[in-house]
Amino acid sequence: MPEIVAERYTGASIKRSEDPRILTGTGRYVDDIKLPGMLHAAFVRSPLAHARVLSVDVSAARALPGVVAAYTGADLEAMTVPGPDVLMALMGAPGPSPEFTLLATDKVRFVGDPVAMVVAADRYFAEDGCDLVEVEYDDLPPVANAAFALDPSSPPLFANLGDNIARPHSRSEFGDVPATFAQADRVMEFHIDVHRHQNVPMEGRGCVASYDSDLGVMTVYAATQSVHVSKIAVAMRLGMEHDQVRVLAGDIGGSFGLKIGASREELAAAAASRALGRPVKWVEDRGENLTASGQAREESFDVRAAVSNDGDLLGLDVKVVIDTGAYPGMGTMVPGIMQEMLPGPYKLAALGFESTAAITNKASYVAYRGPWASETFVRERVIDLMAKDLGIDPVELRLRNAAERTDPPASMITGRPLVGVTTRESLERVAQLVDIPAFRRRQAEGREQGRYLGIGVATFIEAAPGPRSPEGPSGPMGTESMRLRLEEDGMVVLFTGQMPHGQSHQTTLAQIAADEFGVPFEQVRVVVGDTAVVPFGLTGGSRSATMTGGVALHGARQLKVKVLDFASQLMEASAMDLQITDGNVWVRGDPASAIPVSEIAQQAASGQFGADVDANLEVQASFDGGEGGWSGGTHCAIVDVDIETGLVKVERYVAVEDCGALINPAVVEGQIRGGVAQGIGAVLLERSAYDQDGNYQSATFMDYLLPTASDIPRIEVDHLQTVPLDADVNFRGVGEGGMIVAPPTLVNAIEDALAPFGVRIREQHLPPARILELIDAANAT
Amino acid sequence: MVDITLTVNGVTRTGSVEARKTLADFLRDDLDLTGTHVGCEHGVCGACTVIVDDREVRSCLMLAVQAAGSQVTTIEGLAHDGGLGPLQQAMWDSHSFQCGFCTPGFVMQATAFLAAHPEADEQQIREALSGNICRCTGYQSIIDGVLLAAQRTRQG
Amino acid sequence: MKLPYLEYAAPADVTEALGLLGELQDEASVLAGGQSLIPLLALRLARPALLIDINGLRELSRLSLTDGWLAIGAMTREYVAEESLAVAESVPLLAAALPLIGHEAIRSRGTIGGSLAHADPAAELPAVALALDAEFVVRSRDGDRIIPAVEWFDGYLATSRRPDELLVEVRFPTARPGTGVAFLEVARRHGDFAIVGLAASLTLTGGQITDARLAFAGVSDIPVRAAEAENLLVGERPSRNLFEEAAVRATARLNPPADLHGSAEYRKKVAATLVRRGLQAAADNADERS
Ligand SMILES: Cc1cc2nc3c(=O)[nH]c(=O)nc-3n(C[C@H](O)[C@H](O)[C@H](O)COP(=O)(O)OP(=O)(O)OC[C@H]3O[C@@H](n4cnc5c(N)ncnc54)[C@H](O)[C@@H]3O)c2cc1C
Ligand code: FES
Ligand code: FES
Repeated sequence: MPEIVAERYTGASIKRSEDPRILTGTGRYVDDIKLPGMLHAAFVRSPLAHARVLSVDVSAARALPGVVAAYTGADLEAMTVPGPDVLMALMGAPGPSPEFTLLATDKVRFVGDPVAMVVAADRYFAEDGCDLVEVEYDDLPPVANAAFALDPSSPPLFANLGDNIARPHSRSEFGDVPATFAQADRVMEFHIDVHRHQNVPMEGRGCVASYDSDLGVMTVYAATQSVHVSKIAVAMRLGMEHDQVRVLAGDIGGSFGLKIGASREELAAAAASRALGRPVKWVEDRGENLTASGQAREESFDVRAAVSNDGDLLGLDVKVVIDTGAYPGMGTMVPGIMQEMLPGPYKLAALGFESTAAITNKASYVAYRGPWASETFVRERVIDLMAKDLGIDPVELRLRNAAERTDPPASMITGRPLVGVTTRESLERVAQLVDIPAFRRRQAEGREQGRYLGIGVATFIEAAPGPRSPEGPSGPMGTESMRLRLEEDGMVVLFTGQMPHGQSHQTTLAQIAADEFGVPFEQVRVVVGDTAVVPFGLTGGSRSATMTGGVALHGARQLKVKVLDFASQLMEASAMDLQITDGNVWVRGDPASAIPVSEIAQQAASGQFGADVDANLEVQASFDGGEGGWSGGTHCAIVDVDIETGLVKVERYVAVEDCGALINPAVVEGQIRGGVAQGIGAVLLERSAYDQDGNYQSATFMDYLLPTASDIPRIEVDHLQTVPLDADVNFRGVGEGGMIVAPPTLVNAIEDALAPFGVRIREQHLPPARILELIDAANAT
Repeated sequence: MVDITLTVNGVTRTGSVEARKTLADFLRDDLDLTGTHVGCEHGVCGACTVIVDDREVRSCLMLAVQAAGSQVTTIEGLAHDGGLGPLQQAMWDSHSFQCGFCTPGFVMQATAFLAAHPEADEQQIREALSGNICRCTGYQSIIDGVLLAAQRTRQG
Repeated sequence: MKLPYLEYAAPADVTEALGLLGELQDEASVLAGGQSLIPLLALRLARPALLIDINGLRELSRLSLTDGWLAIGAMTREYVAEESLAVAESVPLLAAALPLIGHEAIRSRGTIGGSLAHADPAAELPAVALALDAEFVVRSRDGDRIIPAVEWFDGYLATSRRPDELLVEVRFPTARPGTGVAFLEVARRHGDFAIVGLAASLTLTGGQITDARLAFAGVSDIPVRAAEAENLLVGERPSRNLFEEAAVRATARLNPPADLHGSAEYRKKVAATLVRRGLQAAADNADERS
């Protein structure tokens, strides 16, 4: 077994190596790229939710000085190879596959659907060209909500489907659902709505596609969560071999699930570049981003809960309808995860789960940070509603129902073992940090003076990566690969398919590898974003802490073995007696023997060794997640609700989290706080609003409201001591939890504040006007 | 086209622009100063904030022709001797940012604000930065960076 | 989101600007701070043939105090007015409203004249101007006209300014001794346009209200004065009950618009709340200032 180097970097809030470039404006985002001869694309988009396209006339646009080309949907189809949405094909989305063109041809299906593309010398001219494109539409009845979509009389968006059902209705049962409900003291029923909101990274989607007609090679500079997925998409749609496409990515201005693969517009830009033989840039503006990039989460739930009078949540029966928007994809995959995760950390004896996904004339449903999050919202809301009805404290109720840590571990009724889950500890820790009795006294005093304070808690677990299945041989999230190399200048270089867009991988992976290999942090470089050199990978699903952290650890260890084997020949010592610290290889007990690793690498590269010596100081490592494990935690919010204006102030927010061993606490806390801020935004501010005709109403930042520094409080983060499951790798993902659990935490707190009015909340979005409506409705009954 | 001359980060720059071109686009496209970002182009996100004649402004809501004759400072102009300026250093120390897209706007807004209000407390800093949007951080780390810079400046 | 093609002129003086305006009429747009106009251009919701940039017209950014009036040049930047002692002392209601406009970077460029010419019904300054009976000085090649605030606001983003006229100055009456003011608003976020806003001013003489002024933002397509409530208040002594009653009167006849940020019903309720709170705050402010 290799010697364990004292940890120096892992676990410390090492300053980020990304920051010097970001703080000086020298980062390189896709819109910063300028290539010789580069052109700019803009799109004509549908102003209507649902219409037949009768004609598209781009001739006036083509004639405009500055415009180089203008394409209709039919033009683009002739320039590309037909095929399904690539990402969905790769992920194996269930349900029927609608016909899918890059630009609308026969029909437009949502406000913002791209209809034509103009390519010009700059973006100003491209937009001028768009103004001149004439499109004739024939209105069709808009299918503006899921209820109408499921009505057989609604006009099908896709002729080849015949109806508007993206995922056929299905039902599953775990445990004995009828018996559990029959035996329950009471059955509670709720309808719970989760509203449409969206990712809104500060940088929109975009790319620069550059086709070299001499070489027949397409190079795409992309903003993407995976250069390889983008490459596959481009190759498929352009009918090119994989080796003819290279995708590169630099700094990426956030994504939160939005930038997976290559979008329709990016594929169109690539096709235009090939047709024109010149680089084409398309960077979406904020209007396009809000209107057309995709939206998430519009789901409605009918929930029945089987409950005992003592406060046991015995079973749930949940029916969900998902509004997938116009081009079904992610929305058809989410129900499966919701179903699996619905029991959460609780000892449910039975779960019934039904789902349907409907196609509507709205922007498409995309992955947004914790795509399945509504299951947590529903469950944690149900627990609080139950607590109110039974007169039991909500923290007590959660403790009563949360599974104990037993050996063998309890399992969720849907299957996965709850091994190492620290829900109970996090609930107790929150209660301790917040001093709930003291808050209740303050709350009572406040109410006497007309001040309405409320407290809410909610708890979650996240399979990041999830426990190793007791049966199967494979890890919880597939495998993650990495290539690692010792360069002649002594740098340890990690090639990863992760495509960080804020997650600080260039820092955290270097911390792990530096410790494991034995070099200073500065002597590790993390290479990302080039399909020519990095292995397949994807940043998403909170996978990188365990999967990539793990492969960095094991890979550095493998590389070290290899380097020591080689060094043993140079240094005439047994590899067993050698070690690497501070970038030097030395014989144990003989500091004078130290040789810098750079020198070892130079020797290896000198070519003076025979075939019997492995002088290639590079390894290809892979990791299957090891024992895996759960992330999770409990959050608590204290709010102050102004009952005359409906304004909610979040006075205090506490997050107790267990994401395993921390690689870099400041990075972890940044992920948690950022997620919580998005959750607070979703509840208080953000809504992707459509009117009843499917017109989009949130197309600017004056209408789609993101939280600002005045809306988000200090977020106190407390880390729990984790239960280690794996011998080496106990880092767990933390990217999504904040966004998953903040909405129920906040809504629970708001309901608590409004308890004197008897308000019961069954929805997620609570802008000020809605708060007053809820109070009025409760007062009226 | 209109010919303009202005001073950017202490250097005299000239350009020939369409009147409709925003200062943000001029800085990015004509002067290759891509440190200034555009996040909305309608004045709400603050990513494009630069300092024009000692006041913070949104460079997406100003025409390049209007900056003729002005002194413009962008994020590229803040470095000290090729290193980080004190605010940038404090933000690095505070892990202020994640993806970095909002960063130029926050750095410029905070630079202007601290120059005018070196004694600002957390509440004032939050208000001063509430016109800038960051989607990644939840703001606390940014506020902490500004507070740290203010504190270091006060301590000399 | 790029501005459409347009011509641009930066006249050297007001006369030249008036010449251009007279020639192009509503084909031209005056560019002041650009904080409302440039977003409209970027969204291509406005497509003027010519932009007349008045930023270089120094004569339009003067501030002068004479005979009970504070005259503010149209090109006076919002931040300049905000930092002005003369404004704070002579027109405290305006001073109370200015910091609520957007954010620092907006106020760096935005102008008093621009905000009032734009006449967004949710904006702060129109409500202030209406509450105080400000006067608008507009100029054309034919000379000056003075338009009282009640006649200035003429529908959503519309004023009684003729297309050939330039707003050159706005005059606010200075506050009498014993005046207390408050500008309160409910907005979704700090710095946003108000869902509902209220400009409130009370003058107290010997404990009695001798002048009361209330104007709303965000409850109609123009700012709205609450005359009935004002009449109720004058002659009375401040009290909770009085302010309650004033809130009822001020809002009884309101028929506010609905939008994404609030229903008509919501706006009406909040308007009443703001009257109660605003009158109390103005009364407290009068005490502080005396
Ligand atoms: C993010 C953001 C937030 C904002 N928040 C608020 C807010 O909370 N409250 C608020 O009140 N405002 C807000 N604003 C708008 C801001 O106050 C503007 O500055 C103001 O409304 C317009 O002033 P301006 O000088 O920028 O005018 P411009 O944008 O230059 O012009 C506005 C209109 O008035 C016309 N005009 C301007 N000056 C004259 C003149 N002298 N004569 C004739 N016509 C003229 C123009 O032609 C144009 O039609 C916000 C703006 C932004 C971008
Ligand atoms: S890009 Fe200028 S404020 Fe958003
Ligand atoms: S760090 Fe990503 S938007 Fe601020």
